Amino acid sequence: MKKMVAILLVLALVCTGIFAQGSSESKSGSVKIGALIRNLNEQFVKDYADNLRKLAAEKGVELNLQDAQGDVARQLDQLNTLITQGYKYFVIIPQDTSATEQMAQQIKAAGGGASFSNIQPSVEALKVGKDFYLASSPELVAGQYQAQIIDEYFTKYPAKAPNKVLNILYLQGQLGHPAQISREAGLIDTLKSLGYTVNFIARDTADWSPDKAQEKMDTWLAAHRGKFNLVVAQNDGMALGAVESLITNGLVDNDPSDGTILTFPVIGIDATADALNSMDQNKLYATVLQDSVGQSSTAFELAYAMATKGTAYGMTAWGIAPAKEVISEAPANDAAVIAQCYLVPFKPVTKANYKDLM
Amino acid sequence: METKKLLSDGKRIASQYTTWVTFVGLLLLLSILTKGNALKWNSIRNLLIAESVRSFAALGVGMIIITKGIDLSIGYVVCLTASVAASFAQNPDYSSAIYAGQSFPLFVPIVAAVAAGGLFGLFNGYLIAYGKLPPFIATLGSMSIAKGLQLIYTKAAVVGSLNQNFKNISQGSVGPVPNLIIYVIIAAFIVWVFLRHTRQGTHFYAIGGNSQAARVSGINVERDLMMVYFYAGLLYGIAGTLLASRLGLANSLTANGMELDAIAAVTVGGVSQSGGVGTVSGMMIGVFTMGLINYGMSFLGVDSYYQQLVKGFIIIVAVYFDMKKYARRN
Repeated sequence: MKKMVAILLVLALVCTGIFAQGSSESKSGSVKIGALIRNLNEQFVKDYADNLRKLAAEKGVELNLQDAQGDVARQLDQLNTLITQGYKYFVIIPQDTSATEQMAQQIKAAGGGASFSNIQPSVEALKVGKDFYLASSPELVAGQYQAQIIDEYFTKYPAKAPNKVLNILYLQGQLGHPAQISREAGLIDTLKSLGYTVNFIARDTADWSPDKAQEKMDTWLAAHRGKFNLVVAQNDGMALGAVESLITNGLVDNDPSDGTILTFPVIGIDATADALNSMDQNKLYATVLQDSVGQSSTAFELAYAMATKGTAYGMTAWGIAPAKEVISEAPANDAAVIAQCYLVPFKPVTKANYKDLM
Repeated sequence: METKKLLSDGKRIASQYTTWVTFVGLLLLLSILTKGNALKWNSIRNLLIAESVRSFAALGVGMIIITKGIDLSIGYVVCLTASVAASFAQNPDYSSAIYAGQSFPLFVPIVAAVAAGGLFGLFNGYLIAYGKLPPFIATLGSMSIAKGLQLIYTKAAVVGSLNQNFKNISQGSVGPVPNLIIYVIIAAFIVWVFLRHTRQGTHFYAIGGNSQAARVSGINVERDLMMVYFYAGLLYGIAGTLLASRLGLANSLTANGMELDAIAAVTVGGVSQSGGVGTVSGMMIGVFTMGLINYGMSFLGVDSYYQQLVKGFIIIVAVYFDMKKYARRN
């Protein structure tokens, strides 16, 4: 009996403390927006969520932000929970594209709408109703910008890639992640169209993680030293892991005239603060800005308009007008839903402009 | 003998009682904090649906822990079986389908997934029972094998665009009661009958309590051990099917970490890590206690970082008392 009481006491103490902390945040009578966020452990997603919280505070919106912790099932459960609580309008970073149609249908059944960011919703999800929006940057474009940066580098230093042959060490994000698939496709297609021969000397996932990337690079450098001329990573975390590995393995020429003191250029995506810092030290060569503020502000403004005016169709959000012409990446490849797509631009970040972001 | 049996019955009831009290206490706490809002039928329905797939994993690993084993491969085996099920249920006109252009009758994805789960169970069981590998290591290995097979089979892509008939398996309902809840009740009942009223079921308790004594009393320990992993594998196969049907997709992240959720749930539900002790009702209460904690925190908008913290504490507290209770017995 004593034990039971003890267990209960501990549970009650822990739970009341934390439940109370949660419930104290809610107010009544204000505009309610639900945010379903796929995984707060990632820097980009965290920056996105922080900006949402800031915007909600500015507008006095009651924001209920849920972290799916990388689990589609949990995200669906969280959506159910919020709908039960009367939330109708949502900002969503989906955990998976394939689940977005189901989510949109549930929200529609509750009489609401949603704006999707970062991970693309399916065309079918946007077709559920006109108050379902894409507020995101097409991932293909990030890969295309990487390819352009690579092209500029090797056009300037053709001797580093004789006959336009690129021998790449390529660090992928989590396998099956839409960004992993599209960033890779964008990179390869653009490089080929620019006339390069693309060889992957090694290509493997490091799950977006800097330390896994460093480990992988250490192994590759032991196996493939002298056989590659370029390192590309699908995010900055992994790119910085690669930079560390190159430095500890002595692949440094200490000549910053080409923009990096490393023997080979390393290119990432995201433009995190760490990455910009590394560029400032002439280590990381370049990156691509994935605009967390732009994406979250656009998505939030759409959700806010829906919650206050009933619809956001046709409006300009965060200075971005709905897209008019289809692009090659879903869901903005379908003319029927193109007016529901808000394309937030990626931006290449090189020596020329990185200081603007610091 | 008779008094011993009575004693162990007493302990079993006591341990179950603790978990019930915890569950009801949490329920009360949550209803007070949300002024009754969290306990409306819609909310309860959400909770039951959310925990349904985990229930299958918990029933499987619950049986394994009763035999003093452990299974770390659950998450990736469920991921693999979900992918197998999904691959046979894709719309034939979906160009990225694994078997593009082909459609299969509804039983194919179910049978294929359950067979895949069963095979993994036999593999684990064989390594542990006849190969004498420690369960922790054997299932650690098969976890990685399952993950690898899943990536190879799906080429790391999402297996999506599933047909509506397949999705209805999990997404449908009988009147106001979702199908998933009905499946859980049926599965729990079958496992309960099996553990309580069949010879092999009672053997599991004997093996977990003292495998040497079980052997001396004529139990084929190896065969029974192998079978417990096999049965668990079948349950993981069903879990994978239901999960794919519920989500309308499977990918390499599906069910990741489910082993920890399931092990934590049955431990909270009074299934002892020392083996030989545990009930189906305890396992189910454990699942729904953990579910209630998740659900309650999500309902109240608690920061996910704190959610992890609370779950961690609860698991530690549960195991601490479990160890204290059974330390005396040994």
